[in-house]
Amino acid sequence: MGAIRYDLIIIGGGHAGTEAALAAARMQIKCLLLTHNIETIGQTSCNPAIGGIGKTQLVKEVDALDGVMATAADRAGIQFRVLNSSKGPAVWATRAQVDRVLYKAIIRDFVENQENLFLFQQAVDKLLIEKDRVIGVVTQSGIVFHAEAIVLTTGTFLGGKIHIGGQNHQGGRSGDPASLKLASYLRELPFRTGRLKTGTPPRIDGRTVNYSKLREQPGDTPCPIMSYLGSVEQHPRQVSCYLTYTNQKTHHIVQQGLMTSPMYSGEISSVGPRYCPSIEDKIVRFSHRDSHQIFLEPEGLQTYEIYPNGISTSLSYEVQEELVHSIEGLENCHITRPGYAIEYDFFDPRDLKPSLETKAISGLFFAGQINGTTGYEEAAAQGLIAGINAALKIKEKEALILRRDQAGVSVLIDDLVTRGTEEPYRMFTGRFEYRLFLRQDNADIRLCEIGRKLGVVGEARWRSFCEKQEAIEKEKQRLKSYWVQPNSTAALQFAKHYQKPLEREYTIIDLLGRPEVDYETLAKIGVLENPIPRKEVVEQINIQAQYHGYLIRQQKEIERLQHYELAKIPDNINYELIKGLSNEVRQKLIEIRPKTINQASRIPGMTPAAVSILLIHIKQPVV
Amino acid sequence: MNDTIAAIATPPGKGGIGIIRISGPNTLKIARIVLGSQPKQRLAIFSNFSNASGEIIDQGVAIFFKSPHSFTGEDVLELQGHGGSVIMDRLLKTVIEQGARVAQPGEFSQRAFLNGKIDLSQAEAVSDLINASSEEAAKSAVRSLQGAFSERIHSLLQKLTHLRMLIEAAIDFSEEEIDFIDTLSIRKELKELLAQIGEVKKGTRQGVLLQEGLQIVIAGEPNTGKSSLLNKLTNRESAIVTDIPGTTRDVIRESIQIDGLPVHIVDTAGIRSTSNAIEQEGIRRAKEVISTADLVLLMQDATRPNEVPIYFDKPTIIIQNKIDLLVEKSSSKEIESGFLIRLSVKTEDGLDLLKYHVKQFAGYRAEEGQFIARRRHIDALVRCEEFILKTLQQVEVRAGFELLAEELLWAQNSLSEITGKFTNEDLLDRIFMTFCIGK
Repeated sequence: MGAIRYDLIIIGGGHAGTEAALAAARMQIKCLLLTHNIETIGQTSCNPAIGGIGKTQLVKEVDALDGVMATAADRAGIQFRVLNSSKGPAVWATRAQVDRVLYKAIIRDFVENQENLFLFQQAVDKLLIEKDRVIGVVTQSGIVFHAEAIVLTTGTFLGGKIHIGGQNHQGGRSGDPASLKLASYLRELPFRTGRLKTGTPPRIDGRTVNYSKLREQPGDTPCPIMSYLGSVEQHPRQVSCYLTYTNQKTHHIVQQGLMTSPMYSGEISSVGPRYCPSIEDKIVRFSHRDSHQIFLEPEGLQTYEIYPNGISTSLSYEVQEELVHSIEGLENCHITRPGYAIEYDFFDPRDLKPSLETKAISGLFFAGQINGTTGYEEAAAQGLIAGINAALKIKEKEALILRRDQAGVSVLIDDLVTRGTEEPYRMFTGRFEYRLFLRQDNADIRLCEIGRKLGVVGEARWRSFCEKQEAIEKEKQRLKSYWVQPNSTAALQFAKHYQKPLEREYTIIDLLGRPEVDYETLAKIGVLENPIPRKEVVEQINIQAQYHGYLIRQQKEIERLQHYELAKIPDNINYELIKGLSNEVRQKLIEIRPKTINQASRIPGMTPAAVSILLIHIKQPVV
Repeated sequence: MNDTIAAIATPPGKGGIGIIRISGPNTLKIARIVLGSQPKQRLAIFSNFSNASGEIIDQGVAIFFKSPHSFTGEDVLELQGHGGSVIMDRLLKTVIEQGARVAQPGEFSQRAFLNGKIDLSQAEAVSDLINASSEEAAKSAVRSLQGAFSERIHSLLQKLTHLRMLIEAAIDFSEEEIDFIDTLSIRKELKELLAQIGEVKKGTRQGVLLQEGLQIVIAGEPNTGKSSLLNKLTNRESAIVTDIPGTTRDVIRESIQIDGLPVHIVDTAGIRSTSNAIEQEGIRRAKEVISTADLVLLMQDATRPNEVPIYFDKPTIIIQNKIDLLVEKSSSKEIESGFLIRLSVKTEDGLDLLKYHVKQFAGYRAEEGQFIARRRHIDALVRCEEFILKTLQQVEVRAGFELLAEELLWAQNSLSEITGKFTNEDLLDRIFMTFCIGK
């Protein structure tokens, strides 16, 4: 069969694969997205929700770089909330429950309408590699496609094995076959692999749920928006979620049925994560709690299926049924799909460069769950970066490697490639040492311009961003020279409202720096005249003023460390020749091959002394 | 390299001269304060060295080198004092207060290399030195962490970590419906932390906790020669020496230098069961004092070989005295909790051996003595306190949890010099071990 040539091939049409393909296509790269089933492009396999604490940052970054996840969330979102709204903006997280079917359709729509992007339905069996470079793939039917680079985003499909109680069968996801040939092919390559597992709860028929005693959780008012370019008008009809709890009876049932779980019977020996993904984990590890909460999340407007968030399980179906029926509101419910655990191959991300290209094989990029992460947002963010870097590689340009103070996705990637992971890695804001910098509200400020220079941010987004920035700067300037005199009417209004007199003159910007003060209130009480109506501009001004002092302090810290970030370690450095390093440190350096001194300092086990020695050594000419 | 470092550049206390070297952007400012005037370049001047309040700490020769014509390539100031270790330390403290921090081992040489002032072979020698010195410093730091001081630091750290964990969990897992912590509790914890830090700074009731120098307690049965030993070490008649057992009623304190190493020795009442109330009081005080010691010298009478040594919970040197009565030569050997030395206070045979072991114990060599490590700890503690105060201020203005988390992160980082790094991963570990967090 003749070989057809593309610039880039993306294997897998999930969250990582679609963002990767779309990004590269926007950069004028001719892409082929290979999937074993076109109908499953953009499928949300588990929780039908986009966003969460720590995760929304990633969604917004994808959005800022003109990816589609946030827009799809706006157009398919049926319940929106802002999490952590009682805390400060740095940790706010917009979360959207999405209509599964709608979401998928929107993603597919994007993919099918993207210039330079082509689809093909066939599973991939192996890669074609020549002299440590990828040159193409071979599909199930022996069709060969050539390309200069490949992005692998097969999610949980590699060697996927689904467990329901003691029964198991191969599958990439419920209803989809596993990628077995490809898995065994990849295991032959020089990559370290491991097995991870994740799980999902049973689905329930909403018509059989008794809502009368359950607490309703409607979306927020006003309705939040996910994308920077989004609007409330895009949202479909909104619905509520409902809250219920497990109880002693539930726990007893789980205890009794514990041995039906392959995790607890010993059949699966993969390392458990530190958190509790399944209901059996929760009950075993925290047995003193007599109830755990469960969110009943509707899966869509055109279906009655409910996703009970909180009872992920791999117990046998009989036990699942019993435990579900023991829960208030679910006593008579009908289960539409059983819950299950899935084991799958993943690749040790320490075998990747910070660009997500594999160290061993040139032109081969890995992104998404196969790198050991969990979550759609984590996958999408990696996919986008991998797509950009694959495109840059093809154009023979330097890869995009962001710093830890620039983006949540770079924290994610840096953690993965420098430290590896033993459990499914998910994002928390606690992972950001620059949490006040990496907010959901400023991803565009951080990344749009970078994306524009690379060619991944399109005209519409760029114009919108520039216009918003101008409006923000203009208003900030105005407020910096807008003085409130101590005995003016405005000052009196201020004192009256905030119970604090102004003893001298202040600018509005000064006043906004006080935690209790915000723009809208100043306008309302008559302290600020001619307020501008644009919400997103006002929001930025509030937030920037609020964090001003902290951001300056963090900025100083970032600059101090930049010194070490800029100290690049040459690619061909020979660690064997450096005196004074302990064996343990030397081994780690050889394994990870960090690119900068700063990255080296983050390797577990690195000592300050070793960093000093490295610093001295790299000042020498290439050995 | 935008901060200013300082260190005592000579091995402490061989009598004579001690040099403090300062390098970095604040050097000139520090020079003006310590010398009282603007120094000229490369001119050796004889000057008073004063602290910020004008109090004269020492006198000596000062030389200022303007960047780039200096050892490190930055502005460098050398202060050659001659006061011995304790005074050197006071001077260092002043320098630090004016905007420097204690240099890491090898840091001057590192800066010299990075500024192109020394070449590779010199730098390789530096690599070895850095490694060796930092191990030494680490050992020294560890040793100085024994005793009540370290216990306080550890307990502080536990408390701080716990608070951080709760606040971080409240941020990242606010959807889990677990009440991690509320503002009232945060305020309470912060105030307790501040109180604890305050206590550590003030020291214990006896005030021995944070004195620079080694805290040594001489203990043992009555009439084993404790007071005599103390007198020999101090060359003075400070304790009452008589033949009657149980004569030292009070706790006698002396501050001496053993070859330049500052040592605070406490002589305790003889420990034995007694109905004598005065003795009992003395014994009670003795036990309290031992709890604050870095090292215990346990005196025994070598002529009574069947004595069972009492082990304290501290590094101990057992001294078996009066070998002159056995016509024996002095000797030392390693035992489980330290060393055993056989000597004679009367003839002074073995006293040098004792001094040697005491200095060894203090990790007393190369560039760092134990008291310098403590100086660094105190610095770190003061910085930590500032951040905790700031956190409390933020709580009062109802700042968001993310700002509290930020201040506490800085608080913990400032302690990490003493305790090692506590990473985000460690924090997540703690959270997951303590709370049931779903996916």
